[in-house]
Amino acid sequence: MKTRDRILHTSLALFNEEGEEHTTTIDIANELDISPGNLYYHFHGKDEIIAELYHQYHTAIAHTLRAPVEQPLSSDAGNVEKNWYYLYVVLEEMYQYRFLYHNLDNILLRYPEIRRQFQRLVQLKRATLFAICQTLLQQSVLDAGEQQLPVLVDNMTLNLTFWLSFDRLLHGERDPALTVHQGVLQLLAMIAPYLGEEQLDFYRDCEAIYASMLAAS
Amino acid sequence: MSDEKNKVTDKASEIARNIWLAGVGAYGRAVDEAQSSLKKATPQPPKLFRDLVKAGAALEEEASEARASAISSVEERIAQVRENFHLQRPARIEDLQAMHDKLDRLTRKVDALTRLVSEQQAPKKKAAARKPAAKAAPAKKAPARKAATKAGKG
Repeated sequence: MKTRDRILHTSLALFNEEGEEHTTTIDIANELDISPGNLYYHFHGKDEIIAELYHQYHTAIAHTLRAPVEQPLSSDAGNVEKNWYYLYVVLEEMYQYRFLYHNLDNILLRYPEIRRQFQRLVQLKRATLFAICQTLLQQSVLDAGEQQLPVLVDNMTLNLTFWLSFDRLLHGERDPALTVHQGVLQLLAMIAPYLGEEQLDFYRDCEAIYASMLAAS
Repeated sequence: MSDEKNKVTDKASEIARNIWLAGVGAYGRAVDEAQSSLKKATPQPPKLFRDLVKAGAALEEEASEARASAISSVEERIAQVRENFHLQRPARIEDLQAMHDKLDRLTRKVDALTRLVSEQQAPKKKAAARKPAAKAAPAKKAPARKAATKAGKG
């Protein structure tokens, strides 16, 4: 691995585990066993590292979020489950860069450029969830009125955006699988009232898995 | 009359499409590149709807190229999650039924094999019965000889 990539990799791990605010470039250099001068050669300060990490995250998550906007994940009512599995994919990707969500307001205040891009990301999340819900509505999987949809989608977007922060506030550090799984369960719980009996099977499985995960932890 | 109506709906769908494209232009992946190239053309940042539509249209072209690969990778990850989920979820009645069916199929196979083996063994038994008693005798002696050599070593 190139030094530049190693710096990014280690920074991400430290930000996620120790918090972005408490991590200095000296910490990062120490962790990598390189001189601060060497680190400065690649990145002129923490701002540049954060900007690059955000760019990586934005590229990756936007790529994932765009998939349902461009083409429905489920071709008919028979493979609706794909949409729910997709929520795991999104949450897992967010979890990889959780430092951002753990300290969102603070980071967005300090980095106006990230704020600008993050606003677009929230819009994209909204567009993605809207696309999924609208497809399900067309496939008669969801039984909701057209006017209910925007409200439901905004609630889901809110939940998806702030889930990692809420989970950490409530539980502190816990098993990542639990964090991601409950995040999906919370989103599904919002859709569940509009789902038919057949699709509720998946929701019940999801609940059962969560219960067994809690029992095991 | 209907031609006029069609014109109106065409116009409406075009407007809807432009709004959609403007939406894509507002958040897309390549919007930064698109914006920087637009910035070069116009000194002000593209705040106008027209510019966003332009950015969206450029993005749509690029997106359609990347679409196939993008979707396949998301599909692959969905497949992974699905596998993991199925391992974790509790057994359903359908799953149990499937297991029963499998068990039934296996039982039938075992029965058929047992029958085949017993059929194959039956002629052998007959053949063995016909063999003279003298041939069976040395075979019986063999273990006794082995025991003797073992005792000798000890």
